[in-house]
Formats: sequence, structure tokens, C-alpha cells
Amino acid sequence: MNIPPRRVAITGIGMVTPLGNEAGSTWTSLIQGRSGIDTIRSFDASGFATSIGAEVKDFDAEQRIGDRKLLKLTTRSHRFALAAAAEALADAAVAPTPATSSRWGCISGSGMMGVAYSELLRTQRRFAPAGEFDVRAMFEAGSPAADPMEFCRSQANAGVALLSHRFNITGFCNSVNTACASGGQAVGAALKMIRRGRADYALAGGFDSMLNPLGLGSFCLLGALSTDNETPARASRPFDRTRNGFVLGEGAAFLVLEEMSLALRRGARIYAELAGDGNSLSSYRITDSHPSGDGPIQAMRAAMRDAGIEPGQVDYINAHGTSTQMNDRSECAAIRAVFGPDADRVNVSSTKSMMGHLIAAAGAVEAAVSALVIRHGAMPINANLEQDDPDCDLRFVRDRTLSEPVRAVLSNSFGFGGSNSCLALRKSE
Amino acid sequence: MSEQVVITGIGAICALGMSPAEILSAISAGHSALARVAGWSGAAAEALRAAPLDQLDPRRLVEDRKLHKRVRRTDLLGLYAAERAMAEARILESRAALDARLVEDFNDRTAVYSASGGSNYQTQYDFFSLMSEARGELKHFGQELSQVDPIWLLRELPNNVVCHVGIRHGFKGPNCCLVNHTSGGGCAISQALDALSDGEADRAVVVAHDTPVEPQTLLYFDALGLLTKSQPRPFDSRHDGIALGDGAAAMVLETRSSAERRGAQILGTILSVGFASEAAGLLAIRADGEGPARASEQALAAAGLDADDIGTVIAHGNGGPNSDDSEAAALVRIFGSRQPPTTSFKWACGHLLAAAGMIDTVLAVECLRHSELPGIATFEKPSDASATLRLSPAAQSLGNSTALILSRGFGSFNAAVIVNAPHARNC
Repeated sequence: MNIPPRRVAITGIGMVTPLGNEAGSTWTSLIQGRSGIDTIRSFDASGFATSIGAEVKDFDAEQRIGDRKLLKLTTRSHRFALAAAAEALADAAVAPTPATSSRWGCISGSGMMGVAYSELLRTQRRFAPAGEFDVRAMFEAGSPAADPMEFCRSQANAGVALLSHRFNITGFCNSVNTACASGGQAVGAALKMIRRGRADYALAGGFDSMLNPLGLGSFCLLGALSTDNETPARASRPFDRTRNGFVLGEGAAFLVLEEMSLALRRGARIYAELAGDGNSLSSYRITDSHPSGDGPIQAMRAAMRDAGIEPGQVDYINAHGTSTQMNDRSECAAIRAVFGPDADRVNVSSTKSMMGHLIAAAGAVEAAVSALVIRHGAMPINANLEQDDPDCDLRFVRDRTLSEPVRAVLSNSFGFGGSNSCLALRKSE
Repeated sequence: MSEQVVITGIGAICALGMSPAEILSAISAGHSALARVAGWSGAAAEALRAAPLDQLDPRRLVEDRKLHKRVRRTDLLGLYAAERAMAEARILESRAALDARLVEDFNDRTAVYSASGGSNYQTQYDFFSLMSEARGELKHFGQELSQVDPIWLLRELPNNVVCHVGIRHGFKGPNCCLVNHTSGGGCAISQALDALSDGEADRAVVVAHDTPVEPQTLLYFDALGLLTKSQPRPFDSRHDGIALGDGAAAMVLETRSSAERRGAQILGTILSVGFASEAAGLLAIRADGEGPARASEQALAAAGLDADDIGTVIAHGNGGPNSDDSEAAALVRIFGSRQPPTTSFKWACGHLLAAAGMIDTVLAVECLRHSELPGIATFEKPSDASATLRLSPAAQSLGNSTALILSRGFGSFNAAVIVNAPHARNC
């Protein structure tokens, strides 16, 4: 007997992004073609080669999360995660109950662990005043920090632990760390988890904030960021011939995923079906993907095969499109290789042109945007694309939002280290 | 019907040895790697016991010297364990024997999963010199950044093992790096198991690695009252805390049909993985062992087994009173009065955190293949909660060839892995 495979619906969306502190305001900004990129205000970045970023603005954690005791255990990015997750659950109008909690899972793309700069500075002043770390001094003091909560906040799986605790999710919980592919891979893993029957519901997404002196500094050292400090809104220009690096952003997005028959039975609003996950390794270089698109090609093909869709059915690709020379060229080559003649028909844009690169959260935010694209039949622009690059000759959404029914979407995320994620979403019948 | 997933190679490294066999024989001989850490001084250092691998020559881990500067020690340990598991599985030899046009498909259908410990505190110390010079002036900090290693961020990536296993060998299949503290090993095995049994890949290199032995981590653990004042005594009435160790472990998992097609040696079978969160927060756990019990029940159900089918339990048994006692409660809930022989390895290797679940699984396979279950040498008299468990300071005989391996990590996350490995007669 053939049992039809379990399918997965997206029934809730929550976002905290540089374009808005909720899903609704983020979407409105995208549709209006606004930029969330500006001079960095949360710390003095004026000495850094790059002093612009895509910051979350006026985010009131206490108002969004409420629990002040809980907030002591959180970093800035954990707060984004808790707010976006709460929004997604409220939006879906379903949440774990004592009867269902073990059938809920939580998979999150998470940023790199680290203590906040102010905490690191305290450690440096106490144990390395002249720059050299004095191990003896630390052991004589007997405690590395005045605030033991620093340890909790800096644990690499603290975010998913907070989410599980806060929302009483007692099934499979996991934290994905494949750099810029994290959010996409987390959502893909959650799809598989539900299909496989390990869970019926999932809170899936990602969160990150590297907009701090160490995060910004380490990307500056790699020369990966745009240095167009005088023209922040124009700095992120994926696929433009003059692109010169990405713009670092921060934020979070979470989706509520639900086994399709359960969603249908309760009459849930379904944004889209999460239909396929493709996941591959480039195995080329740490920071670059192969100019031929090798790696991303396998991910896109796998996602479509997994979803049972053909290139001719895909109407929009939310590109990884970071605005670096290498990524954008390689991604275009991959789309050409996978789509063949359909590459001239499928609409493409990178929403990083407006909200910057949210690193471990990027894939999750873009999966949420992709679901909204299907829901609203509207494709956001690829902002700042003015000078064509012959190596990037796709049908980009330019100038204004494109309003057309969208049958299926691919959302690409490719990470440092060579992990590639492609998610396939389709209009739910 | 989904495919059975078999184990065709294993590798492990910790302060007790550089192979599963070496580590197991040290444990069987009652050796512990836990000691005062050389080079550490200061009051709080006197009482600390740990099992680091910081003195090991990196060339013994990975020959490629260029890599020594590009990744952290934890990654070198992970790469070492992965290479050993791959060597035993002989997958590169099998690929080399393939017709050229089949090589690409082989690579596309080879997956790589890692459970990483995430970042270390001390890699951030690379910024101390600049911070000292900048005296808190961020403008100066930003202007003088070039003093720091330009690839600092790349060394810090938690997914370096996935990346470099891929680059070294050209594997391009499904992959993931996950960071989920001690439950990470179980999560990685679970992801690989699902990908293989669903036909997304034919084989997977699955690695877990961690180097928690650094001053700041130890002092945080100590401040939270988690560290032992003497030595870890899992399930013993005098248990008073854990001790940390560095290490890594890896397995090559493969669909049975792929392994048989290439005539690979089959060491054992992964039957199932269960997972349960207690939703108790980062550090808290429930006293009743609900999480490990539910994870185990889920794994038993997924494998189609009854509790009586489990011949051996490799417990998480970290020596922390709350962890041990709640785990004992879970084992009582699962096995009642018919407890299988049970042991734990953390008294000897230390707690390898992100690598613990994987090394326990690898060592379980080694135990089953050699029909040898080492005792807990530091165990004398069970704690009240552990009274009905079948524990011993000496070796025990195995019930049968199926083992349940439990791991419990921060977040109150619990993983339960069930493996079967027949006795290897020729070893």
C-alpha cells in the first residue's frame, strides 16, 4: 500500500528585520522598495572600513517579550528570535499545549556564539590589561565574569533552548550553524522532520546579530563588506556590475510549519506549501562558490525534485544575491544551468538589496518573504540594479514591485564553508 | 520500505587514546585521563581536573600544515576522527575503483554532518591586544583592525569540519553543521539516518567534536557548581559533579544496499534515534527523567523494539547528582526491575560535551563487537535513585548485541540512539 507522503503548510510568520519589527511592516517596506540600510548607530563604527549596516530599529524587547527575568538570559539576537517566534505562533493561531507539545519541534539557524563586546572588554581589562591574556590572574580571581548569566547567554544552543522553554516545545529541537545557509537549512530540516513523522508542528527559522565591533570587524578583515559609507541605501546592489560587497544586517524570522491535513482540518490560513528542500555542499573554497555554479546547482535541482516541480512552474526566485562579485556571478550561472530556457522567464530578485545580509537569519527571513510573495502575488524588487553585468543576465524584478500570481518560488541561501540550501514553496491548492 | 542504515567505519580521539580500540582498552583497564591541567596556575586551577588534548602535535591529527593555521584545534580533532572512520570504511578506495562517470554521482550522494561545540572563548582573546591598545575607543579599534589575523572569522566558523571534509574529498551531498551541546551527536546521527533511509544520499560521514577545556569555560562551569571536587563518580552515592574533556568521534553511515554493493565491512546498524526536550531552559532539568525516558521510548518504538530487547545501556552518566539521579529515574521508568547492564564512560574520558554522544555511540559499537562492557572504576555504592540500576566498578557481560545510548545536553535536550552490532569473531 502506498501512503501519500506527508505535506507541510506554512501557517504562521513572524519577523524582526531592518525593514520592520514585525512581518507586516517588513513586507510593506519591501513592497515600497524602501532601504533598511544606514549608518550604524548602535556603536561607534566610524573607524571601521565599513560604517554602514542594516540595523533593527527601535526594537522594544520588554514590550515584545514581557518577561524581564527571561530577558536577562538573552542576547540581542535571542530577543529578536523570541519576538519573531511569538508573532509567528500568534499569527498561526496555534501553539503547543500539554497535549500537543511533544509533537512540536523547533529548529533554528543560529549565529555564532560569543560574548557581547562590552563583556569581552571587561574580561580584557581584568585579565589582559596589557593585551596578553594572564591565565593565572583568571584562576586567582576564580571567576571569569561578574555576571554568571554571561555564560548562559553565550552558549551556542541558548537560543533554541530559550524558544523550547518559552513556548513549551518538547519534541525535536536543534540549532543549525552553517553560516549564511543556516536559516534555509533549518527550515528545510524542519520540513523533513514533519514529513518523516518526527513532529506534526514546527517552529522553524533563524536569528542573528553580528552588528557589533567583533562581528563587523571580522567581516571587514575579510574584505567582504561594501565600503560605500556615503551612500548606504545604494550600497547593497546585488547583480549590478559595480557591486562591491554585502551589507551586514541583523534580525530574525520564524515560520510555523504544520502537517497539511492538520492545518486543513482546523481551517488554518495557509500562506504556502513548503514543498521541497535541497541541500548540497560546494566543496570548493571556504568563502567562494565555483564560478560554474557547481554546488548551488545540486541544491536547486534537489529542491525541485523533492517538491515534484519543474523549472517551468517556478515564477520567482528569491536569490541569495549578496552583492559580492563572486556569489552573484556563480548564482546566476547556477540558475542558468538549472533553468535552461526558463532562465529568461523566471523572475529573480535579492531582497538583500533592501535589508542587507542577515547571515544565519537570512535564509529564514527569505523563506518568510517567499511565502508572502505567493500569498500576495507580489514580487519585491532587486533594488539598486542600474548597471547590467553581462555575467548576471537574468530577468530581475526592477523598478517596481511585480504583481502577478505566483505558482512556485525557490529561495536560495549559500553559506561560508560551502553549505547550500534551496527551499521550494508552492501555492497551496 | 525505507533502507536500513549500517555503520561501516568508526573513529575517535580523546585524552585516553587515538582510536576507539585504544580508548576502550584504557577504560577497561580502569584508566582515567582526568588530571590537573599542565600550565595552568592560580588558586582555582589547583582543584580542577580535566582531560585536554592541547599538547598534542597537530601534525598527528592532520598532515596538511596549512590547515593548522586556518582552523581551530576542535576542527583538527573532528577532521582526524572523520579520516579514521573513512579509512576504516574504505570509501575512498571504493570511489577510486569506480568508472570515471560514476564518481560525480558518488560525490553528490555522499553526505557530511557535524555536531560542533561552537566557538571557544579564547579565540576571542585574539582581539585583546588591539582592545588594550584602543583603551575602549572603538574608533581606534576599527582603524587598527588589521593587527588581527584577516581570516579570524573563518577559523571561528562552527561548520569548518563539514567544509574541510568536503573540500578534501569532494563530497557534495546533503550536509549540516549543528550546535546543540551534548544532544548534538544524537541530532547529527538522526539527520544522517533520515537522509539515508529516505534515499537522499548513499553514505554519510558523521562527526562530532569539541574542546571545552579552556580556562573561561571551566571557571563558568565551576561557578555554576557543575564540576566535581575530586573525580566524576557516575551514579555513585558520592557523585558531586562532572569533569570536562576534549575529543572527537566519527562514523561512516551507509545504506545497507550501498555497503553491500561495494563489499564493505559492516560493523553494526543504527536502528533509531529518539529526541525529547524537557523545555526546562538552558541549565535546568526535570527530576523525574521525563526527557531521557521519552526519548528512549520514542527510539524503541521507531526501532520496533521492546525494552527487553535492549541488552546494554551506555548512560549519559556524567557524575552530576541531578543529571545522574534523573537519568536513573528514566531508566527505572523504561526497564523497571529488568535493568540491562549499564555503564558510562565520562569518569574516564571526561565529558566531551558536543562530542560526548558520538564518542559514546562509537564506543558502544566497539563494546558490542568485542563483547566487552567496562565498568565504572570510580563507582562503589549507588546513589539512592540508582539503586536498581545494573552498575559495576568491574566489567560486566553484555545482555545481547543491541545497545541504547543516552545523551543529555544544555537546553534540557535528550537524545537516545539504538545500535546493534554483532560480535566480531575475528578480532
